[in-house]
Amino acid sequence: MAEPAAPPRTRIVAWLMGDSVADSRQAPARTILLFLAPALLVYAGFTIYPVLRTFYNSVHTIGPHNVQTFVGLDNFVALVTQDRVFWKAVANTTIFTVVGTVADVLGGLLLALCLFAKVPLARAMRVIWFTPVLMSYVIVGIIWVWLYDYDWGLVNLVLGWLGLESLQHSWLGDPATALWAVVVTHLWKWLGFNMIICLAALHALPEEVLGAAELDNCGWFAKLVYIIIPMLRPTLVNLLVLSFIGKMMMFDLVWIMTAGGPLWSTETVSTYVYKRAFNWNTFDLGYPSAIAVLWFFMILLFVTLMTRLLRQRDRVEF
Amino acid sequence: MRLWLNHLRRTPLLLFLVLYTIVSGGPFLWVMSMSLRTTPEIFDDPYALPVRLHWEKFANAWTNSNYGTYFWNSLIVVVTAVALVTLIGAMAAHCLARYRFRGSRLVRFVILSGMILPPQLLILSLFQILLDYGLYNSLAGLIIVYVATQLAMTVYILEGFFAQLPQDLFDAARMDGYADFEIFWRITLPIGLPAIFTTVTLNFILLWNEYLYAVVLLTDDEKRTLPLGIMHFMGGHQLDVGMIATGLMIAIAPVILLYALFSETMIKGMTAGAVR
Repeated sequence: MAEPAAPPRTRIVAWLMGDSVADSRQAPARTILLFLAPALLVYAGFTIYPVLRTFYNSVHTIGPHNVQTFVGLDNFVALVTQDRVFWKAVANTTIFTVVGTVADVLGGLLLALCLFAKVPLARAMRVIWFTPVLMSYVIVGIIWVWLYDYDWGLVNLVLGWLGLESLQHSWLGDPATALWAVVVTHLWKWLGFNMIICLAALHALPEEVLGAAELDNCGWFAKLVYIIIPMLRPTLVNLLVLSFIGKMMMFDLVWIMTAGGPLWSTETVSTYVYKRAFNWNTFDLGYPSAIAVLWFFMILLFVTLMTRLLRQRDRVEF
Repeated sequence: MRLWLNHLRRTPLLLFLVLYTIVSGGPFLWVMSMSLRTTPEIFDDPYALPVRLHWEKFANAWTNSNYGTYFWNSLIVVVTAVALVTLIGAMAAHCLARYRFRGSRLVRFVILSGMILPPQLLILSLFQILLDYGLYNSLAGLIIVYVATQLAMTVYILEGFFAQLPQDLFDAARMDGYADFEIFWRITLPIGLPAIFTTVTLNFILLWNEYLYAVVLLTDDEKRTLPLGIMHFMGGHQLDVGMIATGLMIAIAPVILLYALFSETMIKGMTAGAVR
């Protein structure tokens, strides 16, 4: 006589609990599935699916009431050949990214070296310098809009005190200076971050090497260029890539400070995507999706090139 | 004498340090002082210290300008999203760090590739998808999106830490008859607490400050989070600098309070993703 099968509920419970295996590196497939399921579900529904849908949208025009018409590569062709605002946005984002990234990492390294030089109150200054990193772009943006104000902003006031009235300027209102004003604000926010990471890397340097350089009567500049920078290379490359990716996607700060204006002088690719999608009242999500897709591949290309280029020369002989 | 000369030589360096300290910390103190002054006082002299402390501005902002609602919305969204992403991320990280199984490299690659996806690639279709699911313009929808955006970074940091825990610990637990989930709950989580603190700090700050997803996915005033609330108030009262500053202080205060208490932990948390 066959044994009666266990009722379904107990079977499920037994399946879920699994039986222990002696090797703790092994686990039944269902256990592994249970551990991964929540992450994979959220990820599939709210990351993979949206990305695929954006790709799908990019080859469609989406009219009112979600009527989708397949247009092939028309969006991309129009974007590359006819859209002058897009190319303006690409140029702005590139300037922003290149200048900002270099300034970020060099500035962070410089500040870290200052604190590394055994100055008084170094710990307190480190904590204060980091505070802008904790503030949101909304807060940073509003504060700097005030600081740049033509009539009562501190920037113009300081220029006045220094007797440089001729340099006083409507910093965010002039297309010639607006982008640079935003770059400076962005730099102000992130310098502390780069400083902390460079400082940690400096403290991790082997003392003997720096000591040996001192014995060889090596000047501080030579020490910086021939010893410190090469030895910090992995950290610096890492920071460059991080800073680069962040700036290629820059949205919040620009949106809050200038909304891309005046005259598209601060328009970035991200703010343009947002405008085309939500501010143009065309309700066509196809075209902005095409911008996002194209830009994603450009970021990927640049980052790959950058890591290849910088990492190849990474094998420095000591 | 030598010491004195040494200091003299370093004067430019010390001056620069003082200057940069003022530049990086000053704006925050300025906003703090403005948050306690009225707008006419500020327009009289924007950079003066408060004469009388107008604490009533905070009560006013909290009730009349809806900052109370914005604050609670932010708190609910951020706390829930951080709790969820920590639990879900820790489970996945534990699994990837502990077990050998087929497809583990693929799973790791897929999840971690989320770190390089630009928000622009997600935001337009998330808008459509949340509309489809009926989650558009709801705090629940924003919470799930936040969990998804922070998942990759969380798994990356936690997995790196969990992988370094000694295997003997887990062999012993297995010998004592712990089931797999007990091992996660009673061993990985308690021992991994430092790394979990790190991801909690990082996620809390990033989400507390988040603007782009919130501005696209929420429309009702009653549902706005703090960054949106501030921008909304700013739109209607461009010239009321005093009240805007009070709003800014309401948004920064929790972060600065935590920073004053746990500055080292927070610095470590914010930089965790960048150090390898």
